[in-house]
Amino acid sequence: MSEVKIVAQLRTEFGKGAARRIRRSNQVPAVVYGHGADPKHVSVPGHELLLALRTANVLISLDIDGKSELVIPKAVQRDPLKGFLEHVDLLSVKRGEKVTVEIPVSTEGEPAPGGNLLEFVLNTLPVEAEATHIPEGFTVDVEGLEAGASVLAKDIVLPKGTTLAVDEDAVVIQVVAAQAEVVEETEEEGEAAEAAPAEEAAAEEA
Amino acid sequence: MLIPRRVKHRKQHHPTRRGMAKGGTELAFGEYGLQAVTPAYVTNRQIESARISITRHIKRGGKVWINIYPDRPLTKKPAETRMGSGKGSPEWWIANVKPGRVMFELSFPNEKVAREALTRAAHKLPMKCRIVRREAGES
Repeated sequence: MSEVKIVAQLRTEFGKGAARRIRRSNQVPAVVYGHGADPKHVSVPGHELLLALRTANVLISLDIDGKSELVIPKAVQRDPLKGFLEHVDLLSVKRGEKVTVEIPVSTEGEPAPGGNLLEFVLNTLPVEAEATHIPEGFTVDVEGLEAGASVLAKDIVLPKGTTLAVDEDAVVIQVVAAQAEVVEETEEEGEAAEAAPAEEAAAEEA
Repeated sequence: MLIPRRVKHRKQHHPTRRGMAKGGTELAFGEYGLQAVTPAYVTNRQIESARISITRHIKRGGKVWINIYPDRPLTKKPAETRMGSGKGSPEWWIANVKPGRVMFELSFPNEKVAREALTRAAHKLPMKCRIVRREAGES
């Protein structure tokens, strides 16, 4: 994975007023921490960071006051509706250092016909990898899998130097059978029956 | 219909409608989701109606998750009653939904059908909604 170079500035003022001023000037407040050092509060150009974060676990070479530092995103806070960045936690890393990251899992192929459905138990797979060689994603072949079949963490082929950070028997994807139409009606009746005593109970408490 | 089995206080104050959703703003289970864009109180009847419209449209082969729960009672005084004499009796159960909240999630192999099912559900709900889809690879 290639590095993305971004120039950051150290922040001198803090609090929501300062953070809002930074956001108004198209910057994003961020914090850099790791290796037991004191955290550094920085502001990063918003658009550049937004583009960089389109890649999961992107390796960023952050230039803070002329000193370069390798970081990876640890936590990203976004506006829930508009999606712009509000704050980013950046984890300081060194070349060759192993870090635990979550890698997105995607599928290729279609499960066996008959309305079978893929259920992602883990959308991302936690792995330990070298900070400079973090895989971008894992692709799992689900072609022809029958209902009840599952893909375990150990079934996913990891690149060299990458190890699993979860139990190897953890289920990542499972194929579930299609629900029958009839079930819906019985569920409704069941729920209606359940609701009646609850209403009575609530009335009794009064 | 969703209803709490037991509540600590039968009559509560109206929950605040200000602010944005703090959690549950991203898809957790399914591939498609219905996200609230404006705030609203959603009653258990509306939730049930939306759920039925989704399940009836997808027929079979999909899975639906409901991420909101109507745990707040709202009260109402009877018609033509003078003010005073205490608070009215519980009338509705509502979920206090704030903008950004993903209320329903759906897994279904066909995108067109899934979007249509969620659109039908949105018509049953009292707020503006939008359909969101899982995007692989973003942090």
